[in-house]
Amino acid sequence: MKVDTQMEVQSEAIVRFDNVVKRFGSFVAVKKADFEIGRGEFLAIMGSSGCGKTTTLRMLAGLEDPSEGAIYLDGEKVNGKATWDRDTPMVWQSLALFPFLTVQENVEFALKMRGVGKEERRRRAEKWLEKMQITEFASRNINQLSGGQKQRVALARALVTEPKILLLDEPLSALDAHLKVRMQAVLSNLQKDLGITFVYVTHSMSEAFSMADRVVIMSRGQIEQIGTPEEIYREPYNRFVAEFLGSANIFDGTVAGPSGADGWRVTFDGGETVLPKAELPDASAGQAVTFIVSAENMQLSRPDAGQDGIAATIAGEEFIGGTAMLFLETDTGQELKVQKSHDELALLNRQAGAKLVVHWAAEHCHILPGENK
Amino acid sequence: MTKRPTFFSLILSLPLLIWQLTFFLFPLLFLVAISFWTVRNFQMTPDLNFGNWERVLSRGVFWDAYLRTFILATAAAAITSAIAFPASYAISFKMSEKAKRWMIFILIIPFFTSYLVRVYSLQVFLSDAGIINAAFAYIGLGPFSMLNNAFGVIVGMVTLTLPLVILLQTFSLNFVNRDLIEAAHNLRCGRLRTVFAVIAPSAKVGLVIAALFSFILSFGDFVSPLYLGGGNPPTLSIMITDFTKSGQQWPRAAVVAIMMIATLLTTAFAAITYAYKERGK
Repeated sequence: MKVDTQMEVQSEAIVRFDNVVKRFGSFVAVKKADFEIGRGEFLAIMGSSGCGKTTTLRMLAGLEDPSEGAIYLDGEKVNGKATWDRDTPMVWQSLALFPFLTVQENVEFALKMRGVGKEERRRRAEKWLEKMQITEFASRNINQLSGGQKQRVALARALVTEPKILLLDEPLSALDAHLKVRMQAVLSNLQKDLGITFVYVTHSMSEAFSMADRVVIMSRGQIEQIGTPEEIYREPYNRFVAEFLGSANIFDGTVAGPSGADGWRVTFDGGETVLPKAELPDASAGQAVTFIVSAENMQLSRPDAGQDGIAATIAGEEFIGGTAMLFLETDTGQELKVQKSHDELALLNRQAGAKLVVHWAAEHCHILPGENK
Repeated sequence: MTKRPTFFSLILSLPLLIWQLTFFLFPLLFLVAISFWTVRNFQMTPDLNFGNWERVLSRGVFWDAYLRTFILATAAAAITSAIAFPASYAISFKMSEKAKRWMIFILIIPFFTSYLVRVYSLQVFLSDAGIINAAFAYIGLGPFSMLNNAFGVIVGMVTLTLPLVILLQTFSLNFVNRDLIEAAHNLRCGRLRTVFAVIAPSAKVGLVIAALFSFILSFGDFVSPLYLGGGNPPTLSIMITDFTKSGQQWPRAAVVAIMMIATLLTTAFAAITYAYKERGK
């Protein structure tokens, strides 16, 4: 028996998806998922509905079986292993608390199923009720709790067996915005305290980016990018991710030639810019290139300021807390997004229909690697 | 917020109200009144005679019949529920939508034929020289006495109420939240244990009401005790007909009927209270 290699796998990752495919009839829900989840990591799987994120989670929980490929949990291949034989508790979107049991009985459920004695059960359940600050509700009926309290019961019920991994399927989607932010903090702290792996499925970028160590972005069964929130935000891999994040301006251009020693002159419909060589080491004239400039890195000038850039017309404005997103349209019809503080915007004429010049520094241009292969 | 009935909702419920008053409440009140009347020379005269109540309730024969009827109906409800549950479970959880519709249709078919006709045909099956005993004789067993005893009565009652109980159970199982079942599995509760720990408690209201219907129909049943149980010793419904036939004792029959209604009301109330009782404070 090769104990050594097994030990190695165990220390590396707690979960490994090895080219996992899931089909429902002719519909492919998950296409070739191939990634690892680290021990103690908070991983978010994000995407719009129907992208395969929940199916991926359910395969890990043992509620669905992969059609192809293998899933390794703690170094062991778990294909075909029933969910009740795995140690992968899940928090449901509907929470799925048992309405015919009290709060305490809900939390004790998993222990009871493992044949833990009554005293021991009560002691461990009480510890988790206390940890989740719901001790006072222990003998209540589930239906008498508020949304946030139910959430805490669901977490206590899943964590009472002290698993190595916790799966969460959009657990906060039913809460109002204020409570959502509070529960995010609870989850984040809990994960750090326990040091266990959280796999968190969500369609909300703010949830994923504020809590997760790494984010998996999925679309139509495909994994589009895996990375830290910062990596994904700074360097989206392809057009889908850039559009999904929503704050990047995407340009389809053509390399016109070198610009100085460390840049390329790139023309695009309605203007031209310089792309740093660091982004695109090798290129030849005439080569197509897709790049982005983030909305907060765009600059605005009055038309009479004499600044080179793209002329654009204001189409609308959206208030985002301390900043505002200005929507402009170029003469060639491309929509641009510019995010600025209210103070900066106050200096400009921003009536709808007003003309402005949009420009940016070369260092803020990033190519989309997935689109430039 | 409490809802006050509107004028419109009163109009809509008027037909039901009139029907219930005419054919349920008034006859019931009349029944109560009759139970105090006196019978002389096969003639009933209005009276306030407590003798009927005294005579019926002080006799061991009545209480024997009462207990017998109660036990038979309880056994029928329990046996029917136990037989029905696996079938309801299979229909609700294991069948396609199309198969489910067919099963529900098939379960309604028994109501097409008269219960009396079905019980007559059961006699042919259950009698000492009947089809089942003939089959047993073929393999050298029997004959078993299956007619004119409690076994026959139970067979009749189960046959009567089984389709209804399966339908009610199936509908209640259809409403069990599937997430709860997966959550139980996920928390290490195996398939069989989930049935008892999660599915049955989730569908409790429907399961209890199904059993209650079986009990109510069996408790008041006249056909099975008479044609499959032989009518002797009597159940309460047989006792009622015996009273009316012997000496026109309608007042005493009324006493028995009122006792039956009171029992059904108490049982139904207890069952529904139990069904809707929630855990926790």
